[in-house]
Amino acid sequence: MNKTTYFLQTETQKVVLVGIIVTIMIVLSFTSPHFLTLRNFTNVFLKVAVIVIIASAANLLMITGNFDLSVGSILAFSGIVHAYMCKHGVPIELSMAITCLAAIGWGSINALTVSVIGINPVIATVGTLFIARGLAFLIARWDGGANIMLGLPMEFVDFGRELIFGKIPLAIVMMVAALAIFIFIEKKTVIGRYSFAIGANQKAARLSGINVVGIVSLLYLIVALFAGLSGILQASRVGLAAPNVAKGMEFDVIVAIILGGTSMMGGKGSTIGMFLGALVVGFAANGLILLGIPFFYQSIAYGLILIVSLVLNQRIGIKEGDS
Amino acid sequence: MAHQENAIEIRNVGKEFPGVRALKGVSFDIIKNTVHCIVGENGAGKSTLIKILTGAYEKSSGEITLNGKPFSPLKVRDAMSGGISVLYQELNVVDELTVEGNLTLGKEKHQFWFPTKADDLKIAEDILKSFDESIKLKTLVGSLSVAQKQVIEITKALCAECSVLIMDEPTAALSLGETGKLFKIVEQLKKNGVTIIYITHKLSEIFEIGDFVSVFKDGDMVATQPIEGMTSTDLVKMMLGKVVAESYIPSKGDRSEKILEVKNIRTRKLQNISFELFKGEILGFYGLVGAGKTEVSEILYGHEYEGEVRINRKLANFKGVRGAVSSGLALVPEERREEGIFGLLGIRENIPLMKLTNILKHGVVNRQKENQLADRYIKMFSIAARDRNHQLALLSGGNQQKVVISKCLNRESDIILMDEPTRGVDVGAKVEIHNIIRELANQGKSIIVFSSELQEIVNLCDRIVLMYDGAVRETLHNGDDISMDHIMEVVAGKEV
Repeated sequence: MNKTTYFLQTETQKVVLVGIIVTIMIVLSFTSPHFLTLRNFTNVFLKVAVIVIIASAANLLMITGNFDLSVGSILAFSGIVHAYMCKHGVPIELSMAITCLAAIGWGSINALTVSVIGINPVIATVGTLFIARGLAFLIARWDGGANIMLGLPMEFVDFGRELIFGKIPLAIVMMVAALAIFIFIEKKTVIGRYSFAIGANQKAARLSGINVVGIVSLLYLIVALFAGLSGILQASRVGLAAPNVAKGMEFDVIVAIILGGTSMMGGKGSTIGMFLGALVVGFAANGLILLGIPFFYQSIAYGLILIVSLVLNQRIGIKEGDS
Repeated sequence: MAHQENAIEIRNVGKEFPGVRALKGVSFDIIKNTVHCIVGENGAGKSTLIKILTGAYEKSSGEITLNGKPFSPLKVRDAMSGGISVLYQELNVVDELTVEGNLTLGKEKHQFWFPTKADDLKIAEDILKSFDESIKLKTLVGSLSVAQKQVIEITKALCAECSVLIMDEPTAALSLGETGKLFKIVEQLKKNGVTIIYITHKLSEIFEIGDFVSVFKDGDMVATQPIEGMTSTDLVKMMLGKVVAESYIPSKGDRSEKILEVKNIRTRKLQNISFELFKGEILGFYGLVGAGKTEVSEILYGHEYEGEVRINRKLANFKGVRGAVSSGLALVPEERREEGIFGLLGIRENIPLMKLTNILKHGVVNRQKENQLADRYIKMFSIAARDRNHQLALLSGGNQQKVVISKCLNRESDIILMDEPTRGVDVGAKVEIHNIIRELANQGKSIIVFSSELQEIVNLCDRIVLMYDGAVRETLHNGDDISMDHIMEVVAGKEV
């Protein structure tokens, strides 16, 4: 078998995704005058960035065969906590540190319930989803409003709107960093290897002396930490913290990961695939908005993308298993 | 047998998959009212032929006649209506239904959607009773034994008026007694005019019930011969193309250094288990199902117990699997697919998993070291794979097991526990794995083999621990004077 056909066979999903992205871009550049502008691209990437930051960690978590539905709530909670502390005189660096710890706290609850006790991740993390969201609303209420917006210090907003090298928004730099870190972890480190092994066969991993509980727990903590960082970033960029922000974000994350070829059962997947999946989601959403398609059609399109991506995933999986 | 009639005639039947010729044009006859055995290593082409006969695959070339008429089933249904039924290795009964429900499943009669009794039930009941009087129609199938469930499957096949019954390794899950029962049923089926195609890995069964045997190798039919007058050496020779008569070869190393000592282990199941293991020794544990072999391996691999385990004279008070592994133990588990291999991953990724530090350079996975490690084991154990990236799930059982053993060796453990090391592995690979185990012992590893196959224990082990009812009954030194009969008596609980 020559190299090209081997590449095409093993990387079918990525090739398909690149094809879809290119197609969307070509169609949109002809149909919408606003598409090929720096402003629009920046917007798309800013939206994608938050998904990718969280999904880079969540992707490895799904490779172990677990997942986290509480990321959107942790993001909202972290934004609110950070804003609340900044507004009430806590220095911004300290506030960030405390917020990150709080986010990791949510992660450790997930790690405890799912990995240590062994509750199904869907149930356990939906539990955290509700509690974290509820607390976010509660803190906003203590502050006296629906959102925390008035009275925030200047540094609060400056952080998220910072431009690196005078051009690139911080969120995009963080996205690239998260991608780089997780490509490295996935391909080059013990944690990456163990994650694949756990997802491929948890029982065999345990009997091989791999610390299954430790690795999965660690990933839950990192996912929560990244969700927390995204919360700080988002609140700061927008200039307000809202408790109802990022509702349904867990599904954006999961759709990106599954589109990217990661198996929900674990053992298979890649960070690069996830990134391509996130770009498909980002550009598809952008296109629907640019073409002025009403939001309910967007919702339908979104559902279709999810189902098609799962079918695609399944088909490719079967082909490999059969050969 | 002058007037023998052929139930099935196979002429130049071939099957090609993209890039592979799975079946290279085989021809032979299956005579009516006989038990025709088909043997061959995994991947020899026997399951391809069966799938063609049952309509799961379409043949690429050749002719088949069934009872004198041309037969080329395109769907599984065609084969069924042609009178061919299959008894698969995995049972397809519904545990939650009664015997009656299972027998009439799929052909329930109904009136205005209310089910009424099927007429065929009477016939089914008669067939069932002719095999096993004790099975009641109202019993839940889940409460029956595996052999009884098989009887129900056979009854279902006979109700479908099959003239040819294909049995695919039917005894894989059966105990000795149940196997005997099944063989009686096979005899009876023969009397009733059913032709049986019997697929098995166990050579002894062929001699017990077979009339003819066809040997498959590399997609070809090597020979079809009557069983009468054939010896098992002949058969193995045909299967492998060479003679492999295995017998006990003592491990060569100096076996005086005690590496493991187990004293008075007690759990709910085990009573005062004591034994010792020396460096360079193969120690075997033999006993019937439920004798406590598995429990012993579990204790060594981190389960809780009362008593004393010493490794290299030091008290081993580790907890859990990770403690066992870091104390120098490694396990080749019984259930290879569920507990041993990482099916989605390649050979390259599987082998280093118990000790990744062997492929790290500056704390980071080094591709070159990883490739070298994989290639070394692939060569050492002649693992048959396309390349080092070959997915484990797609390898044959024997090659999967070699990878699992490689994984344990890479851990550089001194003591390797092997639970049923050759279960589900074909004859050729079995001999290879036995040789690997002997070689490891000669290199100074200590190995404990837990096996329910007496021949394997006797061929392989230097000393044999016999277990019955949670206790060690006797420990034997292997040698010429070893008596299988005596062993069978001990493990069956006879006082010694």
